[in-house]
Amino acid sequence: MNLSPYDITIFFLSLAVLLFFARAVGEVSRYLKQPLVIGEIIAGIILGPTIFGSLFPDQFNSLFNSSQAVLVALQGMIVLGVVMLLLVSGIEIDLLLIIRQGKTASLVSIMGVIAPFSIGFAIAYFFPERLGISDINMRLVFALFVGTALSITALPVVARTLMDLNIFKTEIGLVIIASAMFNDLFGWIIFSIILGMIGQNTHGQEFGTLVILLFSFVLFMFLVGRKIINFILPYIDKFTTKPGGILNFVIVLGFIGAAFTEYIGVHAIFGAFILGIAIGDSEHLKEETREVIQQFATNIFAPIFFVSIGLHINFIQNFDIGIVLLFLILAFAGKVIGCGLGAYWGGMTKEESFAVGFGMNSRGAMEIVLGTLALQAGLIQEKVFVALVIMALVTSISSAPLMNYFVIKSRRYLTFIDLIKPENVFITSAATKSEVIKELCNRISAYHKLSNEKLLSEVMAREELISTGLEKHLAIPHAKVNIPNPLIAVAIHKDGIEFDSLDGLPAKLIVLLVTPKNNPELQLKLLAEISKAFNNVDKINKLAESSHATDFILNLKQLS
Amino acid sequence: MVFKKLGLAVTFSPNARALLKTAKRLQELSSAQLCLIHVGDKSKSSETQLLTLLNDVGIDENKYEMIWQNGEPSKVIIDTCSAKGVDLLIAGALEKESLLKYYIGSVARTIMREAECSVLILTNPSEEQKPFQKFFALVEYSDIGETALDKAYKFAKLENAKELTLIKEFKVPGLAISISDDNSTLEIEKKRADWKSEEETKLKVFANELKLTDIALKTVCLYGKQGWVSSNYVRENGGDIFIVPSPVKKLKLFDRIFQHDMEFIIKQIPCALLIVKSKNY
Repeated sequence: MNLSPYDITIFFLSLAVLLFFARAVGEVSRYLKQPLVIGEIIAGIILGPTIFGSLFPDQFNSLFNSSQAVLVALQGMIVLGVVMLLLVSGIEIDLLLIIRQGKTASLVSIMGVIAPFSIGFAIAYFFPERLGISDINMRLVFALFVGTALSITALPVVARTLMDLNIFKTEIGLVIIASAMFNDLFGWIIFSIILGMIGQNTHGQEFGTLVILLFSFVLFMFLVGRKIINFILPYIDKFTTKPGGILNFVIVLGFIGAAFTEYIGVHAIFGAFILGIAIGDSEHLKEETREVIQQFATNIFAPIFFVSIGLHINFIQNFDIGIVLLFLILAFAGKVIGCGLGAYWGGMTKEESFAVGFGMNSRGAMEIVLGTLALQAGLIQEKVFVALVIMALVTSISSAPLMNYFVIKSRRYLTFIDLIKPENVFITSAATKSEVIKELCNRISAYHKLSNEKLLSEVMAREELISTGLEKHLAIPHAKVNIPNPLIAVAIHKDGIEFDSLDGLPAKLIVLLVTPKNNPELQLKLLAEISKAFNNVDKINKLAESSHATDFILNLKQLS
Repeated sequence: MVFKKLGLAVTFSPNARALLKTAKRLQELSSAQLCLIHVGDKSKSSETQLLTLLNDVGIDENKYEMIWQNGEPSKVIIDTCSAKGVDLLIAGALEKESLLKYYIGSVARTIMREAECSVLILTNPSEEQKPFQKFFALVEYSDIGETALDKAYKFAKLENAKELTLIKEFKVPGLAISISDDNSTLEIEKKRADWKSEEETKLKVFANELKLTDIALKTVCLYGKQGWVSSNYVRENGGDIFIVPSPVKKLKLFDRIFQHDMEFIIKQIPCALLIVKSKNY
């Protein structure tokens, strides 16, 4: 089958329309502070039979359904898009992080898979009709599919949410990202097994053989292949032009992996994903190269796939409110309960656990890729696919605000400015350093049920080691005690008080910082924030002029 | 005093003299006791050979304790150190082992991974004794991290070192993924720079808290794979000694396959390496 000049014209035109709309709606989505991928999926729904196709069927058909040859060519591009998407997803999976994650992350990872998977599996197995099964004989595979589709957290959405909420580089951020990576890896392995069960096996291997081949491939890549790639990469880096050489190497390997897994009977994307993990594990793959690869896939290939989702399905005709609601309930219940419990058992507070639960709740690309393949394999009906896409959209959109709510409630991730409460800010006329420290300790222990004596002795012990009088009229006495969250009290001394400061200047702002004993890094972080915020004399002088607590907090926020 | 009892596995290898000289120098520097361990039979000839070697190096016979013991070398050395209360074991090692030996584990690598006391590894011991001048210490905000830094500081002061560089590594896994949701590389670059400056301030605060005031102190924050970036940094900057806190658990084969941060340092040792263990290791 050859492409005629007309076919080629239509092929490029349709690609241009797809890419343009994906970007345009994607930008609107970003403007509305939503994930880019949501815009891209909506762009497909707009362009597909749901809106454009039903309003202008002729134009729709001539652009997207003109000839078999164009459809095949477009299909090729879409497969390429998914393979590239999975390759870059794999590259960013930090295998060592998954394997070496701490207790909390491990619990969240495991519970974040077990709970949604079992809930989804059980409901789909016992009430398959309610969830819209297409062939009742495929009950087990269908239940496995629903379980898996509910278990995979959308890693890119998680990363963006953590970035937007400014908690990427925090304990909770690490727990969420590590668990989301684990989810991804686990989800794709289960997914490949399901595909084998559906009978996607193009070479007629037994299911058992396929599973053995699959696990041998994963084990080989993780134990040996990974090391070989790590050995070769520095040479590629040294002897080829940058960044083309590495980019070429990565894509070539990804495609070989894709071809291999397709050959053994597992979908091509799985090979690309596993190769991606093996490549991404190398310490020689520089951060800049990772970013270039990400941009390359994100801006060209991924949108083609996402926009294609809605291109051949009518979302209005296939909208079944019962199935949609059921999927939403299962999705929220499974992830929030599972991950939340995991985090709670791992030692996080109730608020933090909820934040983890909602942070992990976003679904996206992976469910949809899974759904697309299940749809193609005839495992699910279109209305299940539509419900799946809507579930992905709703969970992704709701993840950030819900998570933010609980992050704020859990005071641990607040900046020092948010930690300062008016009741803990006062103007003092104390005559000595120890007098003002006593006043500060009284203030904190009065409001937070802390033993005043113990707190005072801890602060004074630290003070004896080396004075906490810094420069530019600032002093930060501090101590680590057994409390769950950090506390701050501020004393303002209009004239300044002798505090054995480094520059000899009297302290006008005396900030008492009390942090949990089990988190030494949090103390350093807050000390660093405080000394950075009060880094000039004028600022401190202005703050010292504050007439009362709320005035001080207002001035502080304005000056920061 | 940095260490109270030094241990050294004595062999008749070409490096033996250099290692003995280093042990002698460090013993004198910290007024420590010295325990020499020889794995092998105590025969007349080997005893004479060893005594000649010790005489040559100038180690006074009253200033050391000699242990002869048969068995699997790394096990004998580790067990003897534990039994004799050695708190610093000195050993020589190749900068890099062959791949097979790295995975199977040579004597020196096994000692680094499994000894219960702190270990000083010399990759290139020289007979001409010079004090370590460029100290690098890996910072970890934990109890063992503080102990390691305290040892590094005291050791550097004893050596009258030129400078002590504190290195803090950090990495935010999955950062590049956020690009796939349209964070531009510029935004990520900026974010990373902000985090770096935050880490640098934290590191300075940490150093202030520990009162490391008697030596020229430098602080460096590195972004990247932990163990690997610091090790490279020390190598590129011509470090004389790199002091690192030990992992909380003994390193096993699993930690070589799915590399532990410390394994990146052990795999290719950048210079003399001091692994500080906690007392209750």
